[in-house]
Amino acid sequence: MPRTIHLHPFTILAVAVAVVSTTTAASQWWLSCAVLGLCLLISGWAGQLKKLSVLSGAMLLPTLLSLLLIHGLVSRDNSPAIAQWGPVRVTVHGLEVALSLGLRTAVLVVVGLLCGLLIDKHQLVAAIDLSPVPPQLGYLLAATHFLLPQMGEKQRRIGEAQTLRRVGTGKGVTGWFQRVRLRAVPLVLASMQDAQDRAVHLSARGFPAIGTRTRLRTVPDSSAQRAIRWIAIVVAVLGPVLILVLAQLGSKS
Amino acid sequence: MQQELPALTAAVLGLSLRSFTYLDGQAPVLHNVEIEVFPGSLTVISGQSGSGKSTLGAILAGLLPRHGMDELVGTISVAETQIEFSKSVTPRVDVSQWAKHTGLLPQDAGHYLSGIRGTVAEELAFSLENAGVPREQMCQRVQELAHKLHLEHLLERNPQQLSGGQERLVALAALAMSEPDVLVLDEPLAGLDQQASAVVSTMITTLRAQGTALVVLSDSIRAWAHEADSLWSLEQGMLKALSSDEQEQQNRTTRETPRSVPEDSRVLLSLNSVKLAYPGASHPAVQDLDLEVRAGQCIGLAGANGSGKTTLLKAIAGLLTPVAGRLESFGESGLLLQNSSDQLFERTVLREVTFGIPKRSPLQQRVPEVLAQLGLEAYAQTHPYELPASARRLVALATVLVRDPEILFLDEPTEALDEAGEAILQEVIRSVLERGGAVVLSTHDAEFMKSTAHRVLTLS
Repeated sequence: MPRTIHLHPFTILAVAVAVVSTTTAASQWWLSCAVLGLCLLISGWAGQLKKLSVLSGAMLLPTLLSLLLIHGLVSRDNSPAIAQWGPVRVTVHGLEVALSLGLRTAVLVVVGLLCGLLIDKHQLVAAIDLSPVPPQLGYLLAATHFLLPQMGEKQRRIGEAQTLRRVGTGKGVTGWFQRVRLRAVPLVLASMQDAQDRAVHLSARGFPAIGTRTRLRTVPDSSAQRAIRWIAIVVAVLGPVLILVLAQLGSKS
Repeated sequence: MQQELPALTAAVLGLSLRSFTYLDGQAPVLHNVEIEVFPGSLTVISGQSGSGKSTLGAILAGLLPRHGMDELVGTISVAETQIEFSKSVTPRVDVSQWAKHTGLLPQDAGHYLSGIRGTVAEELAFSLENAGVPREQMCQRVQELAHKLHLEHLLERNPQQLSGGQERLVALAALAMSEPDVLVLDEPLAGLDQQASAVVSTMITTLRAQGTALVVLSDSIRAWAHEADSLWSLEQGMLKALSSDEQEQQNRTTRETPRSVPEDSRVLLSLNSVKLAYPGASHPAVQDLDLEVRAGQCIGLAGANGSGKTTLLKAIAGLLTPVAGRLESFGESGLLLQNSSDQLFERTVLREVTFGIPKRSPLQQRVPEVLAQLGLEAYAQTHPYELPASARRLVALATVLVRDPEILFLDEPTEALDEAGEAILQEVIRSVLERGGAVVLSTHDAEFMKSTAHRVLTLS
């Protein structure tokens, strides 16, 4: 059973942004590894380790392979080659670059995914609704999160109806493309109709709100969390600048 | 007509309409409609599909006419305010303000729900949130309304995971949250099983007792006649009060009973200890089911919402493989799905019916025949989405019949069908049975089931 984290969604997001920006700017393999390890620990505590591992793997493996291909195998730098097969040569520098970029990308992906798994979508929408941003933004986010599964369900039902009429039943890649083509138009038309039908009732229920709006759902917050958010934002902006300045000074001396 | 309304009570909603024409419409959809709604009253407006019921409902709810598009000539009185509409003047209506006096529950109750809230309590509070009502007041009002309408057990449920009946209850409660004087309900009992219908009816009675006036739009007065304060019929855009003779006539059901079937007719469908389950589901939808369907036989599937009727029909139509047991079908089959809009993909009725049939197939020759059988010839070049709900349902049926199925599976076929459409459906079922085919149908319409099915299988 996954555990829920009782923090304001903006706190989690602010800390995540600070961590990613600082780690990217620092570009230290040990720091990236430490962040990744911490993410795995947190996901393990939250009961999301398997999900995080699968999702991260699906996104990172192709990225790491392409980085290795570009920088590791066909690198044109003059550093000593570890191995060589004709024009393809593996160099130490190439591997270092691929590993460094790969680790930075991994931090971005894993931290981002962890945020997605830890933050309750309804809490996030409520937090946005309670902030001073336009109400449409909260609706847009909510619609993306909650109406997309409904579109997936509609697409499945259209597929069933087409199968009954023996259409779109082909196999392999060609069959897949045929199904996509046949389902796309009715899906878009049905979704537009659905949006139109909902819009009038949303207006009748006073959406979007013209004046002040409130929420029945409460989003946990505290002065400590607000302070953490401010610190995280300052770190996210100034941290990379400070690291770059220090690196410049270090290279001059 | 039992129009015994208190003479001294002022109407909370009044409509005096000379004509209403949609943008680009050739002729008025409604004309000469005069209606007044009193507090706590139940007004029932019946009419065939396409008669203008939904249009009238949308006008009463302030959703029509659309500013600068449609044309309404007449007067609407709401909350002691009279609004004049003419050919040259269409006042802009603030629908959210109007909804505080008159709310509309659409036929598909899911469209009323925002679809973006995590719990039923939040869904009920949606309009209050947009009005900026303080949280403590919202909590109190949600609890009070849920208590009054017996919905406490649903408050923490996810609105996306409600059954059809529960969804309608929640939408009705969400509508009542703003405490409007009038609620307009479009086919509030359509597609609901007996239990869900009883709960919705009870909720309607509770709301009436609190002084809320109700206007029910329905294709039949049968379910409402005994408690309605006024009964109206909408025919070709004109509203007329139903006389007591007409009420009796509409209430009377003269349905035939199905003819008997020879016991030695050949078996067309056989199910032995069939178990059906969706991937990932914790419980099977159907378990240990035995069924034999013979030529000339019509089998009815009954059971509450969620009892597995649709799942069973999908399995015997080949969309779902049983996880256990044996399912054998001996003949061409065709399934009419519950929701017509998921079954229609093309831009004209003619193209829709021919969709998926190879150009040189002999089935192409059946297209005009099927359109004529279902009374759809006049709509051949019309977009299916532009048709009245009943005709759209018949188009979906045409797409099945054109393949000349020997076994016809119908999932809630009477849903959205008006009386004329139902008569056509009865005729279609009879013709399938007479030529040695079989029909398996699921429906909540007990009358229809009784007049059509030889045998009823109740799923639990």
